[in-house]
Amino acid sequence: MTDSNATASSPIVITGMGIVSAIGNNAAETLRSLLRQQTGIRPLRHLRTSHTDIPAGEVQLTNAAMARRLGIGSDAAVTRTSLMGMMAAGEALRQAHVDAEAMSRAAFVGGTTVGGMDMSEQFYGDFLANDSRNAYITQHDCGASTESIANHFGRFATVATLSTACSSAANAIVAGANMLRAGECDMAVVGGSECLTRFHLNGFNSLMLLDSEPCRPFDATRAGITLGEGAAFLVIETLNAALRRGATPIAVLEGAANTCDAFHQTASSPDGQGAYLAMRGAIADAGITPADIDYVNAHGTATPNNDSSESQALVRIFGADAMPPVSSTKSYTGHTTSASGSIEAVICILAMQHQFLPVNLGWSQPAPDCIVPTTDSRPPRPLRHVLCNSFGFGGNTTSLVIGQSPADGATHATPTTTGSTTRSHAHTPIYITAAEQVSIQGTLTEEWLTAPTTHCEPCACATNVETRRWLNATEARRLGKLHKRAIATALTAMEHSGTELPDAIITGTGLGCMTNTEALLTHLCEAGEASCHPTTFMQSTHNTIGSLIAIHTKSHGYNATYAHRTTSFDCALADAWRLLQLGKIHTALVGGHDELTPTTFRLLAKTGYLGNPGQTAGETAVSIMLGSRATHRSLCRIADVRRVFRPSAAELRHIASGMGHIDAVATGIFGQSPLDAAMEQCTGHLFPGVPLLRYKNVFGDGFTAFAFALYAAAHILKTQRLPEAMLVDATRRPAKLQRLLAINRTPSGNNFTFVVLERADTPTSTTPPSPCGHSCL
Amino acid sequence: MNKAQHDLMEELTQQLKQQVIEALNLEEVAPTDIDNDAPLFGEGLGLDSIDALELIVLMEKEYGIKLKTPAEGKAIFKSISTMAQYINDHRTK
Repeated sequence: MTDSNATASSPIVITGMGIVSAIGNNAAETLRSLLRQQTGIRPLRHLRTSHTDIPAGEVQLTNAAMARRLGIGSDAAVTRTSLMGMMAAGEALRQAHVDAEAMSRAAFVGGTTVGGMDMSEQFYGDFLANDSRNAYITQHDCGASTESIANHFGRFATVATLSTACSSAANAIVAGANMLRAGECDMAVVGGSECLTRFHLNGFNSLMLLDSEPCRPFDATRAGITLGEGAAFLVIETLNAALRRGATPIAVLEGAANTCDAFHQTASSPDGQGAYLAMRGAIADAGITPADIDYVNAHGTATPNNDSSESQALVRIFGADAMPPVSSTKSYTGHTTSASGSIEAVICILAMQHQFLPVNLGWSQPAPDCIVPTTDSRPPRPLRHVLCNSFGFGGNTTSLVIGQSPADGATHATPTTTGSTTRSHAHTPIYITAAEQVSIQGTLTEEWLTAPTTHCEPCACATNVETRRWLNATEARRLGKLHKRAIATALTAMEHSGTELPDAIITGTGLGCMTNTEALLTHLCEAGEASCHPTTFMQSTHNTIGSLIAIHTKSHGYNATYAHRTTSFDCALADAWRLLQLGKIHTALVGGHDELTPTTFRLLAKTGYLGNPGQTAGETAVSIMLGSRATHRSLCRIADVRRVFRPSAAELRHIASGMGHIDAVATGIFGQSPLDAAMEQCTGHLFPGVPLLRYKNVFGDGFTAFAFALYAAAHILKTQRLPEAMLVDATRRPAKLQRLLAINRTPSGNNFTFVVLERADTPTSTTPPSPCGHSCL
Repeated sequence: MNKAQHDLMEELTQQLKQQVIEALNLEEVAPTDIDNDAPLFGEGLGLDSIDALELIVLMEKEYGIKLKTPAEGKAIFKSISTMAQYINDHRTK
């Protein structure tokens, strides 16, 4: 029962929260530590590292203890990130009284960057040498963490993973809120999880960002970050939905903004432009003014650079004389990196519920370039609206405004609509104004339309791109092949669509830059924890791709990176579609980027994902410009985008029957692979008699290969050309090429994505109303 | 500085230039392009803070010299000459 009319005006409330960090294994323990002003920063105990001199905020539970609490068998291949996530999400779901039925209509959006790296770094030698730890290879990626957390509880309508470094969880909250605003679901479970690993401890250490003493945010003597770990999740839903199911709001998600500093990959701009734009945007989104903010939970990492930059931005927002109380609770939890956005959101809610200020520990000396943080726990006025900042590498800056529970209003309010209503609005058509690729079909070329090269080898690499046209030698020297291809396709797509600056840059990548990830893992395995290269770590984070594009184009707008397995690109596309439908943006640069290394191929072949007969693994670099307005350059129109998670056969039939007439379906069928059967059976069943097209045999397979389906469909609709190689059955050529459907069915059969594309020069057909009463995406 | 010391210093300088080019992936730069006394950062080679961190790793790996903070590198990384001198004075391997 999703009702878009009501959701547009109904506030988004928080009805459950759960938290695990160094200061407690649940909300009650966390509150106690905050009130007692007790830090969780201690000498390292659980992480096996040679850096014993570095303190950290560790969760005080072993993996085995968490597994026991969760009722998970000791032989299960489960990572620390997943275990902490399950603990926190479980607490949130229990508080919000989410039952199976509500869950089946809810989205689960997680944020992480580390994912299963704790196990990968432990077993990397085994991954390479034997088959004893293969189960952990499939748990390595960010999306695997989110899915294992979600699946622990039951079946959600959709699952997605944000990976924007230290703002991942905050951006998961933003994404979930936008899903509610777009009327895609009634409820979203949003947050993040991240465990400590040697991988990122050494990465931050190589960037010389760690303090050997407990961190001192905003202090004159601050000397860097203390890393932490943990997880936190929120249950968010529209007030109407909450009231309908009798849930009690504990707080209101009043506003949010995702922006980009577009300055440097690991440093914040001196004037804090990204931070300023995020805070200003979130306050405006909440419909309040800076004077209404009663407390700011700062990002406050305690690096000289962040705290100075954030202070500048705070002064620009509030004025030096009207600064509300500010503190960084990283002095309690350590910097929980990708989880910090949701961990600190929970701390903000606790502060409002119990009307106290979490004081900034470790502060004693004012710094000339910093604000003075609060050391008094008594708020000067009631806490009604609080601002929560989360900033990440790559300049991914996000702020949230959280308001006090509408306790009085809520208990007396009644839902504005009752009963089940389906999403009934037609979509605004969105145009693909340019689509560019680098693949095994060449670089920035559409020759495949007339003369595609054929590939039957198990794995083939795309050409390396010469970036001299866009980057000078100094700019290009640190970039890997993945980054160079992303820059080349993105800047060409912008040029071909006549876009100077996209409103949003949204990237999908399954694994990010594996060349760098492998280099750091190999270093840890062979050379140990000395002399790690900062460049390797910096370039390994998934959001590097989107941030490089933003820095190069000086794009301060919405910037997000999705790392959700084989639907990473699909998530990015769905996000762009959602923001365009909501009218929050008018143009978006959407990318799908993954690279292949010999080791990645070998390890993924061990899991059965690549290396199958008839399957050619390739590399993906696709950039697509989307716009809400048609131009003479438009390649085609997108009429609908939907993602569903673990749907029943009946639900799939329901969705398919609402798609209208389709001339051909583009699928992940290779042609001669045992993997084809499931896909052929599924599409044949859903769209009987409709000619099938294939693209993976032309462009190669990979985590973001679905981007090629969209890229190819756009050019096929524009040119009305269809290479023979793309026909699944050469005798069944589509009679017309007016309306194509691209389907992504993930190997597990868990995730489905449907995208309907139409010729741009045909009259807009109104998309039939969604026939499904639930799991609408 | 006697001739033997001078030759050793010259050898170290040449070796260091090659190591810097490799560590920072300066594909289009040859050792002869680097002036011994020209500034490495800002104008000169156009290096930045990440390069400074890579130079710190280089000194640790190749010469056994450990710096505690990036700030210490400022004076050391002024030019190839200052870097070579510092390495000569502090190397442990």
